[in-house]
Amino acid sequence: MDQDRRTGAYSDTDQMIVSAAHEIRDDDVVYVGVGLPMLASLLAKYTHAPNCKIILQNGIIRTSSFPLPMGTDSLGSQTLAEQLDGLFYVNCLGQAGFISAGFLGAGQVDRYGNVNDTAIGDYHNPVHRWSGSGGGNDVISFCGRTIIILRQTKQRFPEEVDFNTCPGYLDGKPGQREKAGMPPDTGPAVVITNLGIYGFEDREMTLRSVHAGVGVTPDQAKAEVGWDLRVSSGLTDTEPPTQEELSILHEKVDPAGMWAGGRAQFNQGSNKDKA
Amino acid sequence: MTMKEAISQYVKSGDTLFVSGAQHGEPSAAVHEIIRQKIDHLTLICALVISSSLLLGEGLLDKLLTGFMVQDEKRSYALVKAKAMNRYPAIEEYSHFGISLALFAGYMGVPFIPTRCQVGSDMPEYNDNIRSIECPFTGGQLGVVGAVVPDVGIIHVQRADVEGNAQKWGSLGVDREGINASRKVIVTTEKIVDSDVIKRDPNRTIIPGFRVKAVVEQAWGAHPLHLAGCYNGDMIGVMRTAMGDKQNYEDYMENLVYGVSDWNEYLEKRRAIAGDEYFKSLEIKNPLFSEPITTGY
Repeated sequence: MDQDRRTGAYSDTDQMIVSAAHEIRDDDVVYVGVGLPMLASLLAKYTHAPNCKIILQNGIIRTSSFPLPMGTDSLGSQTLAEQLDGLFYVNCLGQAGFISAGFLGAGQVDRYGNVNDTAIGDYHNPVHRWSGSGGGNDVISFCGRTIIILRQTKQRFPEEVDFNTCPGYLDGKPGQREKAGMPPDTGPAVVITNLGIYGFEDREMTLRSVHAGVGVTPDQAKAEVGWDLRVSSGLTDTEPPTQEELSILHEKVDPAGMWAGGRAQFNQGSNKDKA
Repeated sequence: MTMKEAISQYVKSGDTLFVSGAQHGEPSAAVHEIIRQKIDHLTLICALVISSSLLLGEGLLDKLLTGFMVQDEKRSYALVKAKAMNRYPAIEEYSHFGISLALFAGYMGVPFIPTRCQVGSDMPEYNDNIRSIECPFTGGQLGVVGAVVPDVGIIHVQRADVEGNAQKWGSLGVDREGINASRKVIVTTEKIVDSDVIKRDPNRTIIPGFRVKAVVEQAWGAHPLHLAGCYNGDMIGVMRTAMGDKQNYEDYMENLVYGVSDWNEYLEKRRAIAGDEYFKSLEIKNPLFSEPITTGY
């Protein structure tokens, strides 16, 4: 298990959470899962996006902030919600086009943003098993922009995933998602790792920025993918966390250090073990 | 009716079972009773139900329909135990929404429901209950999920009357779809209340009494999960047992499942192990009250 990379005031986990928070807009309705996405959304809420609506899979719809739950549902995350319904209800909102952004942790992600949360190797006799889709497939199938968060190693970034749990742009050709039955204007928008941030150009994962503040170079990011990585012509250094963001994250969002404190097994955007 | 009677009369070996409470207020007391009675060859459908690990670990499941394996491959002794007994269930995988759609189709009494999730993924290749059809209206491709109609469903609620009119509030997970899809329904409730209490707030009823076979009053019936308006959860305790290692798992089974005759004894034993302060610490510290709604004419 790799350690947090840390330069001075913040770690690469901090950078991942802060970068993820930057992806949330004040007018977003965002589908949030367990772990780093939860931290990122709460951080966004305490900083630049106080009005964003947070949707939790069990049927929680809320604008105000809440104490960080260990999973997604707790009496804290339920209390003072605007609406409490069920999983079916919130996913209907998504399927009908009313959720603008969603988060996804991932076991593996490939060149065209397809995510494997199921198995490595043969499905019936896997080398490694993850928990399966959970809400991940639902998020990527119909939320407007899906933000994928995971720690990056070559094994977790294969050219093509063994099992496609959450379809990205499938084989990368135009119109494939719509042909399969997914709504238009959906799909993976950003991949955030401990090394950099990737967008999608012509549906292909493209390096957008590297976390220079924690000492990452473009070559390091390129070395940890399983194909010849496309690099954006506008490649930059990732915007580093501000002091204010770091103190809000550690003092307000996660004062107990439940997730942001560097619990390695939880540092991947969900409770998925490393491959 | 006692929990013992309700479970032995209405849950049978070979049944398809729905267990409510996706991360909120699962019927823990009822699941423990199923384990004590060793009702086996079950097909289980649920979402994020922690005590599903115990059913699995005790080898009672033939099949598990799920969107998310709450059991951790590396840390859960339950998985290891089931495999060692050659009782590891067949797994039929969906997304969370997929599970709710299968139950919703059952609840509606239709054979399938169309959807835009799960399509394009590899899930349909390994799950015959997820398919694609041509939309009869647009001609485009559309995912479909086949209905699941559980033989029996169990829900734990905050309050119900003796007729079984059951009210649950807080987040509902797949409770409404699952319990309404189930042929036979067992309601376990923190409290049996006058039917007048139900009738003055009828929008909160999740299933009407005429659909319910058995009502069991059981305080703290969802422990160690939280239940809105009643108590907080003990997530650390949950992790240690249902998802824990061999020592924790077997200690739990021996002491708190097979070593007690019912849930009240479980609660007493918990109190003895964890101290008097334990249940006190889970109580709601700052309750908020809603405005009463007005009905009548």
